[in-house]
Amino acid sequence: MSRSAVGIILRAEWRAWRNRIAKANPLRVVGLVVFALLGGTVFGGFLFALAAAAGHLLPSARDAMLAGAFTALSVLMLVVGFPSVIATYFAGRDLMQLVLAPVRSIEIFLARSLFAMSANLLVAVVFLIFVAGVGAGSGASPLYYLLALALVFVQVLLVTALQATFMAAVLRWVPARIARDVAVAVASIAGGGLYLAWNLTLRQTLGSFAPRHQPDLSSLVSSLQRIEWVPSSWPGHALSAVIEGNASAALVWTGVTLVFAIVVVGAAALLYERTLLAGLGLLGGVPSRWRTRRRKPPRVAAAGAGSPGFAIARKDWIAYRRDIRRLSRFLPAMIFLLAYAVLLIRPGRGIDLFWNDVFVVAFVSLFMSMMFATTAIPAERRGYQLLRLAPVTSWQLIRAKVLFTLVPVLALTGVISLGLSLAGGNSPWKTLQVALLAVWLGVGCVCIGVSAGAIDPNFESADDRRSVGIVGTFAAMGGELAFGLFSVGALALFYLAASLAAGNAVAGLPVAATPAFAVASVVIAVALAAAGASVVVLMLWLANSHLRGFENSIVSN
Amino acid sequence: MSQTPHAVEARHLVKGYGVVRAVQDVSFQVPRGEIFGFLGANGAGKTTTLRMLCGLIRPTAGTALIDGFDVFAQPMEAKARLGYLDEEPFIHPHLTGREFLDYIADLYRMPRGPERHRRMERLLGLFELADRDGELVGAYSHGMKQKIGLASLLIREPSVLLLDEPTNGLDPRSARLVKDLLEELATRGTTVLLSTHILEVAQALCRRIAIMDRGHLVATGTMEELRTQAGSAQATLEDLFLRLTAGPESSELIERLLAPQP
Repeated sequence: MSRSAVGIILRAEWRAWRNRIAKANPLRVVGLVVFALLGGTVFGGFLFALAAAAGHLLPSARDAMLAGAFTALSVLMLVVGFPSVIATYFAGRDLMQLVLAPVRSIEIFLARSLFAMSANLLVAVVFLIFVAGVGAGSGASPLYYLLALALVFVQVLLVTALQATFMAAVLRWVPARIARDVAVAVASIAGGGLYLAWNLTLRQTLGSFAPRHQPDLSSLVSSLQRIEWVPSSWPGHALSAVIEGNASAALVWTGVTLVFAIVVVGAAALLYERTLLAGLGLLGGVPSRWRTRRRKPPRVAAAGAGSPGFAIARKDWIAYRRDIRRLSRFLPAMIFLLAYAVLLIRPGRGIDLFWNDVFVVAFVSLFMSMMFATTAIPAERRGYQLLRLAPVTSWQLIRAKVLFTLVPVLALTGVISLGLSLAGGNSPWKTLQVALLAVWLGVGCVCIGVSAGAIDPNFESADDRRSVGIVGTFAAMGGELAFGLFSVGALALFYLAASLAAGNAVAGLPVAATPAFAVASVVIAVALAAAGASVVVLMLWLANSHLRGFENSIVSN
Repeated sequence: MSQTPHAVEARHLVKGYGVVRAVQDVSFQVPRGEIFGFLGANGAGKTTTLRMLCGLIRPTAGTALIDGFDVFAQPMEAKARLGYLDEEPFIHPHLTGREFLDYIADLYRMPRGPERHRRMERLLGLFELADRDGELVGAYSHGMKQKIGLASLLIREPSVLLLDEPTNGLDPRSARLVKDLLEELATRGTTVLLSTHILEVAQALCRRIAIMDRGHLVATGTMEELRTQAGSAQATLEDLFLRLTAGPESSELIERLLAPQP
């Protein structure tokens, strides 16, 4: 009997995955496994305990919580797992081989489903812990856990099929070259919008926190009850019916979930068969032409020697505008950032307006540099070899990237922070302090971000989100967080020193309002600022050393 | 410029990856204005050697000199004199051909102005890319990428060219153009180190040829010297290559492949 195509494809994928692991640095693999286990235990344990407490203490909100959890899972999967779904079903170069072989589209669809679901399954594990916690807190029977496992898997399958259906629909209407980016942008904007709506609801709930009072959960529960008709919440209703011992309701909700999943998966398989060839080999490619308007005569550059730094900056600016993929990632992130900034305009209860602005400036600097700076060097991709061949030092490259990235980061941080400070009614002196802090944090975070990208670049990645490795991502996050904390800590100590020097003791601090303590505060503040600066210097030094020693070949453009 | 008579010099180059030795003790010199052929089977170590010579890979041992400048000890001086074309040219996919050349010219600090502009237009015209304005390099065909890669070297007139399969993917007319161009550049003093699988090109263009096999340099010299080394006065370059990189004869391999299975 001949082996099925599905089995053959799965075996090849499994071998490829196994080879990738075998080829990887063993230390790195062990480190990742240890980190995942430790992180998973701490985070999973905390989430489980939180869900168990909620399940135990809020019996009336169980249905809303479970329905909300499944809906949140679906939204998160829609955004996070979408690139994996597109890459696996529509864009992978290995698809070409499968299409050329005597293999039916439905077999390709089935064989690749497991890999398309990989990112979604990872997200689902987190939600499974939450659902199990609610069950434990509610004293649910073993049937609850079995059903939860099955329904979470069905939800993953359903969302993956929905993503494939959505992509197939986009491919029918949008040119294949930009279809991938359009689809990702639409999903990101929709996901971002839903996430913000959720945050607003939470803020409404937690904003009404008052001392010695419980949070007002009515708004949250009513919001969740309003979405109970959404199919994504049906598995939650089924599980809450099991907890309540309502067998018929559990059966009905499970039944409709399964029927809906079958319909969506069937539709996805059918549509996939019709659109597989539409995007094959074209998705996400470079558009052949970028300019449709009439050709202008080429501009003759001004006199003077060419400047490598300026050339790199100019090339980056041109590429940024033309790289549809990067734009499709950038725009939703910008919407997300601006919306967050607007949300944070209103300071929390008991928080001084100035310190609220300090927090916003720190958040925007960190966010912007993570978005722009970390990918600055890896985004060179294969063109990085041109820079290595040219008489340009790695330090010159880092400097050019920092200067180019600083412009948008400082501009946006400046506009947001000054806008907040002025709209909030801060004095000109305090507004100036916010502006100076924005510049200090902007420069530091950009230097750290660019360096982190240089420490662990993945030049072969066509996707900016994967262009920095795990080490680089953690270096960026850790470095920026440390720098931000040192800097804001130094500012707070300067304020403390001013207060102590003026003879005003700070309530709750065991520090006397004397000049000696004021001087000590200044000394510690300067030390903290120096520690922040040394984080930046260390990162720049590591980046320079790493780039100088880089000698890997870069295969794909 | 350095006073050394050799434009390219490899001194005992070694490159190891763990226990694997990709290149073992390779030494040779190329005088100025010479076209030097670099031959070898797939995986023989040609590209690794070229990448060590241009500074993309640091040798495990040995020294690479360009115009007398150590590629790793004096990288700025060496790189300013060097042009390297990879078998898959390094490009920036989101730039047009003209913008890409402008970018390269700036990276190498070429003076701006009408002269640079004229040179750029001449090169784009020469490689039939002038009418591709507005078309992004990333969308070029392989041959066109090869052409823009060559143009990006020639715009800055390096004294040493290291070319890895420069005619790969070119149509016959463009391939001929490249060959003629290399000969002309050599007569004007440019040194060319040419790695190729096309033995006819090597035989027609190169004054001296080096043959690599499994990381070793097995022969270096003019055609006559190689014939003497191989002990066959009438041998073609193909015969010499096959003899020096000994393996089973192709007729033997074909016979084995097509033999009826027991």
